[in-house]
Amino acid sequence: MKALNRRKLITASAVLAIVGLAATAIPAQAKEVGVSSTEIKLGMTLPMTGTASLGYNKIPGAAKAYFDYLNANGGINGRKVTLVVKDDRYVPTEAVAKTNELILKDKVMALLAPLGTANVKAVASSVNPGRRGIPVLFVNTGFSGFADKKKYPTTYTVLPSYVMEAKIMGQYIKENFAGKKIGLLYQDDDFGTDALAGFKTAGVNFAVRVPYASGSQSATAAAGWITKFKAAEADVVILFGVSSATSAMLGTAAQLKYAPQWMLGSVGGDATTIRATGVPAAVLTNAIGFSPVPATTDMKDEYVKFFSDIYAKAVPGSPFDLNVLLGMNTAFMTAQALKAAGPNLTRKSLINAINTKGATFANSALVPAAYSRTSQVGLTGYWVGRYSSTGDLAPVGGSYVAYTTDSGSGAVVKSTYKRPAMPAKGLPN
Amino acid sequence: MQLLNTLLIGITAGSIYALMAIAFVLVWRSTRVVNFAQAGMALLSTYFGYEAVSRIGSFWVALPVAMIGGAIFAALVELILMRMLVKHASSGPIAGVAPIIATLGLLGVIRAVISMIWGGQDLRIVAPISNNGFTINGSTLVFSPLKLLILVVVVILLILLSVLFQKTNLGLALRASAHAPEIARLSGVRVDAVRTLGWALAGAAGAVAGLFQTVNGNGNFSPDSIEFSLLLVSGFIAAVIGGLDSLLGAVLGGLFLGISISFVLIYVSSGLFFIAPFVILLVVLFVRPQGIIGVKAGRRA
Amino acid sequence: MKKESTHLPLFILGGVILYFLSGMVDELRVYQGASIAVYVIAISSLILLTGYSGQVSLGHGALLAIGAYSAAISKNELGFPVLASFIVAVIITAAGGALLGAAAARLSGPYLAGTTLALAVGLPSLANQFEILGGEQGLLFDVGFPPLSLGEDFTQYKWFFWIAGLAALISMWLVNNILKSRYGRTWRAGRANDVAAQLAGINTGRSKVLAFTISAGIAGLSGALLSMTIGTVSPSAFPLALSFSLLTGAVLAGITTLGGVILGAFVLVAIPEVADVIAHRLGASEGVTTNLPGLIVSGLLILTVLFVPNGPVEQHRARKAKHEALLGSKHK
Repeated sequence: MKALNRRKLITASAVLAIVGLAATAIPAQAKEVGVSSTEIKLGMTLPMTGTASLGYNKIPGAAKAYFDYLNANGGINGRKVTLVVKDDRYVPTEAVAKTNELILKDKVMALLAPLGTANVKAVASSVNPGRRGIPVLFVNTGFSGFADKKKYPTTYTVLPSYVMEAKIMGQYIKENFAGKKIGLLYQDDDFGTDALAGFKTAGVNFAVRVPYASGSQSATAAAGWITKFKAAEADVVILFGVSSATSAMLGTAAQLKYAPQWMLGSVGGDATTIRATGVPAAVLTNAIGFSPVPATTDMKDEYVKFFSDIYAKAVPGSPFDLNVLLGMNTAFMTAQALKAAGPNLTRKSLINAINTKGATFANSALVPAAYSRTSQVGLTGYWVGRYSSTGDLAPVGGSYVAYTTDSGSGAVVKSTYKRPAMPAKGLPN
Repeated sequence: MQLLNTLLIGITAGSIYALMAIAFVLVWRSTRVVNFAQAGMALLSTYFGYEAVSRIGSFWVALPVAMIGGAIFAALVELILMRMLVKHASSGPIAGVAPIIATLGLLGVIRAVISMIWGGQDLRIVAPISNNGFTINGSTLVFSPLKLLILVVVVILLILLSVLFQKTNLGLALRASAHAPEIARLSGVRVDAVRTLGWALAGAAGAVAGLFQTVNGNGNFSPDSIEFSLLLVSGFIAAVIGGLDSLLGAVLGGLFLGISISFVLIYVSSGLFFIAPFVILLVVLFVRPQGIIGVKAGRRA
Repeated sequence: MKKESTHLPLFILGGVILYFLSGMVDELRVYQGASIAVYVIAISSLILLTGYSGQVSLGHGALLAIGAYSAAISKNELGFPVLASFIVAVIITAAGGALLGAAAARLSGPYLAGTTLALAVGLPSLANQFEILGGEQGLLFDVGFPPLSLGEDFTQYKWFFWIAGLAALISMWLVNNILKSRYGRTWRAGRANDVAAQLAGINTGRSKVLAFTISAGIAGLSGALLSMTIGTVSPSAFPLALSFSLLTGAVLAGITTLGGVILGAFVLVAIPEVADVIAHRLGASEGVTTNLPGLIVSGLLILTVLFVPNGPVEQHRARKAKHEALLGSKHK
């Protein structure tokens, strides 16, 4: 009797499973996934909620603001660009799950600007967009490993790598802080290891290095970090963490009256985001910062003016900060790539377009991009500035001095790149 | 100086864990249940406090509002959820784990509902008094008027609650209702009401923990903030280390945990943030399985 | 006494059904199917420990992590083939479980819960401390492409589903038979009344450790399989939420019976989808949509524990038994 009931149960479960799953059978494949005669679908995963989302959750709104402008002006060869956004809370396993949804359920043509080194890595090995020919455009991380074409055949970076940034920082320290004691706050993962490698190449010797476990950054933890920096008597403290770590550090430093020469990495260096957590602007003043794109307050720059105008109309009341600028810049470059791929838009033609024409895509960066048939590396450098009395990053003396380098052992050189004019009306040509 | 600061960081963090631990112990002593939703209730109370501060503008008003709100909510949970649990799931193999699972579920529900009502973004409560460190001889300590206040409040609460439990009839009733409810009932104690009261007290203590944890940081809080996850795990570990039966143990456990974690993070590596509490717990339980001031299990039949 | 059948034909039937299933559905479902299989294994290990042996574990996620890391390291560093790495996962996690069990024998109720909770939070982050564990970004765990003999169109996800499904069937069959054996009875005796069991001559301490060991071994297998489906092993794959989800699944399944395991695992994987559909139907805001799955899972947990505390399967069986008893007594 018992055995019969058991069998019934298992059969019932199986039937249930079959019915449930079969009910979602898919229709036949479209000509190119994510592309129809009227629409191009792109997908993005990033932290929209949670500790790491600070500042970054404005990126989708920014990108959509540009795409909406683009769509209102004819789109790309008559197709509207749609962006599907999923929250992965900076957790790699969720990134994998959400990316699967984007690819299998939403059927996007390409993945755009996924955020987070660990997340992009997890997606690469599990979902394997490379093997499936799915372009992963302009990843929102500076991990140098993504430039490896063999491992990540369809992945394109855009941000200068952490190695590049660390090398440029190291050069700047050599030129301006020789002989001083240097301290470093870094995240306990690939993000941090990349930075350490760059500093090593640049020959920086740290008096103290403080790692923090990703997810543990808080004001209380910051008190502990500061105690260590104080004990080592650091003159310059480099903050190479995410925005929430930088904010925690600066906020607590203000309470403890700790004020070394701050040097902020670009990842966590967005002034507006930091100030929004309550850090007084005065704490930021005179800190050194880096950015590949123009200062967000530089209204004389045609790109900054253009983007901030669009953003103000699309998301009124929201401050125009570095996250917004970078988000819109990436959307701008994406539009260029989609246009260059031609009216017969496929994943292959998109990849080909970036490989052949990517280095000439117009965008707001003050340093060149290095896309080519052999390189999927985007921007290659930073300009150095100081945070003003209002706590905004601005070039020293008003003119941008940028440096470029590579992620290997190449030297750091002053950049002579002259940025071409923005295409008419900010639309891809 | 580093030594002193490490100690001070640990004491401040530990005193907040102690508040949380007190809440756990209060619930355990009055109903013999571990309430895993305690941190969620503390979080909810913090939101109550936030609403009060936004409307009235004073932290000192918000604190009692949060405590009362927390107490009422906790009482409601006991009245509704726990009573039902006793009715439906007090027999069979599920009895031991049912309250644990139910309160875990409640934790998730509270978090989700908070996110739905207030959203997931950071909100801010500004500290009522300065959190700038005291400066002695030119160097600044990691100790401020605010942190001093927290310490003082914890000690006061400890004394008040201990007096309540040990020296008053109500306290006797609370203890009796937990250990021997039938006998207590026979003696005329309104056992059910008393148990609810125990939960209410715990809710109030948790509210204080939540508010202080928030303002001790940079004042920002959200359902997912690390501060509240810490409250949950470290508060519970502190209670276990102290031996769930004693309020004094809760405070000692909290301070012990806070100080040891601080030393590990600063003198060993700050990357050990998530491992340290676990290792400390293991060490304590290995040496004293019943906690610092716990009664050895096994006496109970 | 009549020997209870091992129900082998049942499991073989299950395998055949799954084989046909995998050919009929699209990739997303196959991937979810693999996840369900992984959960089935993990939940059954929890049922063994908590339901049968009465020891509450809030930290099963940590055991999954041990299994996953063991498998990845044995494959990457020692060059073991995939199958061998799974076996390594089982053995090492079982060893870990034995240690945990020995330590846990001195703890009861909330103290055990607390220790397992701390374990769940602390253990995965150990990966950052040792180079070989790969840190936050984790280790790669690539089981390779499906063999060419299965055809060009045989996707990676289908391969995962086959491996995980087969492992689930085998482990379920094993667990089922273990629970029905002398050991299962020993555990239930110990859970019901520790003192009485000891009087009856059962070494409850040893049997508790055994329960931990076996449960851990199985959990380790599911951890290795979980990593297979994700492709990497990293601390963030094993958050506290995973341990809570497993406990939820075990309660939904009926924490004392194995029968509902499939149901429990299925519900766990289905909830995010269901929540999505509900949220869209209601035209809900962003905030509601993101949090609805969490709300449903937690709410389900509370409702299940209140109204169906021993699981829907057990409830059904108990009702049937009562019904039959009534019928039987009528005949007297």
